[in-house]
Amino acid sequence: MMRSLLSHDRAGAFGSPRYRFARYNFDWPLFLSVALIAVIGVINLYSATSVAKTQLQDVYIQQIYWLFVGGLVAAFVAAIDYRHYERLAYGFYLFGIVLLVLVFVLGRDIRGSSRWVSLGFFSFQPSEFMKLFLVVALAKHYHADPETGPRTLKDLIAPAAIAAVPMMLVLKQPDLGTALILALILISICSLMQIRARSLVTLLVSASVLGPVVWTYVLKDYQRQRVMSFLNPEANILGANWHAHHARVAVGSGGWFGHGFMRGTQNQYLFLPDQQTDFPFPVFAEDWGFFGSVFLVILYGFLVIWSIRVASLARDRFGSALAIGIGALIFWQALFNLGMVLGLLPVVGVTLPLFSYGGSSVLTVLIGIGLLMNVSIRRSGGVPIRASARLGAV
Amino acid sequence: MNGRLKSRPEPGSVRKRYAGIAAFVVLAFAIVIGRLFQLQVINGSDYSEIAHENIIRRINLPTTRGIIRDSQGRVLASSRPAYNIYVVPGRVMPSARPARKAGRRALNRDDDSDSWPRIADVLRLSPAERTSFTTKLRDACVIDADTSPCWRTVLVREDAARDTVAEIRQHQADLSGVEIVGAPIRYYPYNNLASHLIGYVSEIDAETLGRFRPAGYDKLVQEQRQAVNPLGYELGDTIGATGIERAWETYLRGQRGWEKRVVDARGKYRTGPEAERQLDLPSRQEPIVGRDLRLTLDIALQQSIEKAMRQFPSGAVVVTEVNSGRVLASYSKPDYDPNDLAGGNGRIQLHEAFAETYSNPMKPMLDKVMSGSFQPGSTFKPFSALAALESGLVPPGNHQTCGQAIKFGDRLFRCTHAHGRVNMHEALAQSCNIYFYRLGETVGVDAIAKVAMDFGFGEKTGLAINPEAAGRVPTKAFYTQQYRGQFHLGLTLNTAIGQGATMVTPLQLALAYGALANGGTLYSPQVVTAVETNGVAVEQFPPRVRRRVTVKSEYLAQIDEALAAVVNDPKGTAYSVRDPSLEIAGKTGTAQTGYTPKAADDANMQVFYARDHAWFAAYSPIKDPEIAVVVLIEHGGSGPTQAAPVVMQIVREYQRLRGARVAAVDSARSPGRPGLLP
Repeated sequence: MMRSLLSHDRAGAFGSPRYRFARYNFDWPLFLSVALIAVIGVINLYSATSVAKTQLQDVYIQQIYWLFVGGLVAAFVAAIDYRHYERLAYGFYLFGIVLLVLVFVLGRDIRGSSRWVSLGFFSFQPSEFMKLFLVVALAKHYHADPETGPRTLKDLIAPAAIAAVPMMLVLKQPDLGTALILALILISICSLMQIRARSLVTLLVSASVLGPVVWTYVLKDYQRQRVMSFLNPEANILGANWHAHHARVAVGSGGWFGHGFMRGTQNQYLFLPDQQTDFPFPVFAEDWGFFGSVFLVILYGFLVIWSIRVASLARDRFGSALAIGIGALIFWQALFNLGMVLGLLPVVGVTLPLFSYGGSSVLTVLIGIGLLMNVSIRRSGGVPIRASARLGAV
Repeated sequence: MNGRLKSRPEPGSVRKRYAGIAAFVVLAFAIVIGRLFQLQVINGSDYSEIAHENIIRRINLPTTRGIIRDSQGRVLASSRPAYNIYVVPGRVMPSARPARKAGRRALNRDDDSDSWPRIADVLRLSPAERTSFTTKLRDACVIDADTSPCWRTVLVREDAARDTVAEIRQHQADLSGVEIVGAPIRYYPYNNLASHLIGYVSEIDAETLGRFRPAGYDKLVQEQRQAVNPLGYELGDTIGATGIERAWETYLRGQRGWEKRVVDARGKYRTGPEAERQLDLPSRQEPIVGRDLRLTLDIALQQSIEKAMRQFPSGAVVVTEVNSGRVLASYSKPDYDPNDLAGGNGRIQLHEAFAETYSNPMKPMLDKVMSGSFQPGSTFKPFSALAALESGLVPPGNHQTCGQAIKFGDRLFRCTHAHGRVNMHEALAQSCNIYFYRLGETVGVDAIAKVAMDFGFGEKTGLAINPEAAGRVPTKAFYTQQYRGQFHLGLTLNTAIGQGATMVTPLQLALAYGALANGGTLYSPQVVTAVETNGVAVEQFPPRVRRRVTVKSEYLAQIDEALAAVVNDPKGTAYSVRDPSLEIAGKTGTAQTGYTPKAADDANMQVFYARDHAWFAAYSPIKDPEIAVVVLIEHGGSGPTQAAPVVMQIVREYQRLRGARVAAVDSARSPGRPGLLP
């Protein structure tokens, strides 16, 4: 099996028919929108970190490195037919779970939560990669499921369990934001399924019962405080609402056209905390105003809609679920980050894809884009049956 | 064919869902864009303003309080530079900041080592101080937000020594997180001298501040603030508490200026063209320094009074110019050191000084010259005599026989001894009570009150440096009200000799004697002659005549003769203590205080309180008088023996000082030293 995979791969990399196939079916809109977001992200990062002259000076350079590395990995991921990943899906998933467990063994404690695994020369966040592994595992489950009619609750137990294990581990770190994204990925992929009306009602009812339980027993104090401060935003500007308040002021002060590149005062005068990780958007909104912000939001919107298009054109269920999963990952992260910054949602530590600084985050998103490209290249409309036949023949 | 890479067709029902999902995504991003529109376009200008206010801090530019000088230009009150030292806990002790800072934001940390131990060394803190401050600073950083106490300054040294300030300035680069803030301290070079008149400054209290900054003050616009708080008082400001410092506060205080500075979230000032671009105009208002005051006071004369009064525990002395009402000296005992109360000698000294002033039964905080009222005793007799002359009921040649006691109704009224047959002149010179009892009986209380009020008794003089006592001139109406209709003759008799309900302040007495001396002109008292800036008078205050008294000048002349006789006639009460080289006219007084022993006072104090007040009210010289002097020695016993010698000493000192000054001017004019004056 391994041999056949490698030989196929070699054919993909060096065989001229394969090269032509990839070239003709290359998803330029996907590539360009991602590249544009990444470039804007680096420029914004330069502005965001310009305030801390010596300490953060090289952050945008590191981000460029990560984008290069991520791009290469993504190209590699895109080159291998995604249906191979389907076979290895549960293997990836298990690998991810093991990494998450490792966090508790090797974890580095940051702000009272351990999210990182350090390998000496660099450290990474397994929970980021877990998002991808979960998408692949859920896609595989959906793909292998023979059911086409309405699902009952019993049918949903398996995907829920697949998502629940990493969620528990991530919550234990604790990292509410990532757990939330994992849950939303599950729901997004399930949205492809038809669910019996009665089951849906049961789900909603039990969710509303479980809500208070989670509030009391699962959430940490600081997490509850953030939700409370979201519900009452002006109550405690100097305390828990500090981040949210100053982010909102930064966005608002941008006006129609913004202060101009590296001129936003909220950022330049250190009122935005975590400007390179959780709060890059206020820096952008402050520098470039309403027009710049809307342009960026439209780019994200385009990327997500495009991934739905990729899903709808995918040749199989695995491909659709994969595309929807990646789209969901980008959509929910963007929505939560923007929502938090704009005071629409409580402050949870969710990064803005390709905009926030961070190796794990960049790699995860770019690998996801690679998968998306993979599905897109091999879509049913654009891909001749021959390709599929060839694949089968290898 | 590899069976694992199977591909299944999608069910048709799923395809319909993509449109729904896409619609959801579009809706979600539409909401985001809507919110962006709301924040950036609709509320954009509000947020711009908030963002602008975030980085602009208006810092105060201090002003200097005006200098108070005496008539000869000697500095009585000025400000000396002083520096307070503050530290920012988060910057002097980065190690105290919780792990949150040290982790993900380790990149943001600008300093890693604690500068606090070095700062503590420079300040030479005692081990106890060092421990308590270290704990305080560490505790400040327990909660970590960019606005927690971790980033607010903590006062570690008040009024730091020059060397310490210099050392910190020199090593400022290594000692991050230290701030030196100038806080001038009011300084009174003559300490206790004239402390009641000059007063002192203190930190503004909450109640006073509340008057200048009522609730909602921060929301007012600049013009409205100016209206309620024209001098711009703020928490921690100093304000004149008593004396001239309080009464002339508006002149002395000056107006602080401000400067807009660009500041970041950490409270660090930013400079350079980029930061200056953020400043809106006007970005600076220059401070206006306080005006200087020139007083009528002669601190050298004040000093001699202090010497003359040294043997007495409690009393008051005031010297005024007969022909202007200017106050040359104003002395109230016991007094206090304004440096203690203004905080110039440290906090402990301040607390001790206040404890002392409130526990001392001699009332050191009371300015007895104008705020204290006392029974004048025999010093009041000249005014009773004038009333008699004015009424025409008692001819000057009228004689009474003093047999040491006289009976009115069923009460016996006494005199000091049997004076025999005396006329008005002799009765004044020898201070015969019997004569004045008779006089009072004839003239009546209201006639006496009329003359007394004409001379300014019973009303405030209008000096208003300290809360003035009005004193009291009893009338028949007053007595009727006070004693429920049972007015009797005895009350009138007491009024005639300055006892009973008659109350005067030493200042009133001095001004009234001034009027006796100058032929009947009652002046308004005056302490400040000019308001100056850089030594140039910008406003001058000429003497003000309050009124001309209505008594005939021939009567005044008769009284003046009698007052001269008090000192210079061998039978006069002050003859024995006279200084033949001095020309002094005056009237002694020995006023009963009506003290009833209280359990709270110990035996010594009971004896002390039972003694009479000793008075001597005088003017000098007899011909063309220049100054009026009133000496009150509380519980001093006898006016002639206790108070009169003090007056002699003061007048002698006044002559000496004046002589020295004339000599100095003469020598400056002499041809031997050309060029000094034209």
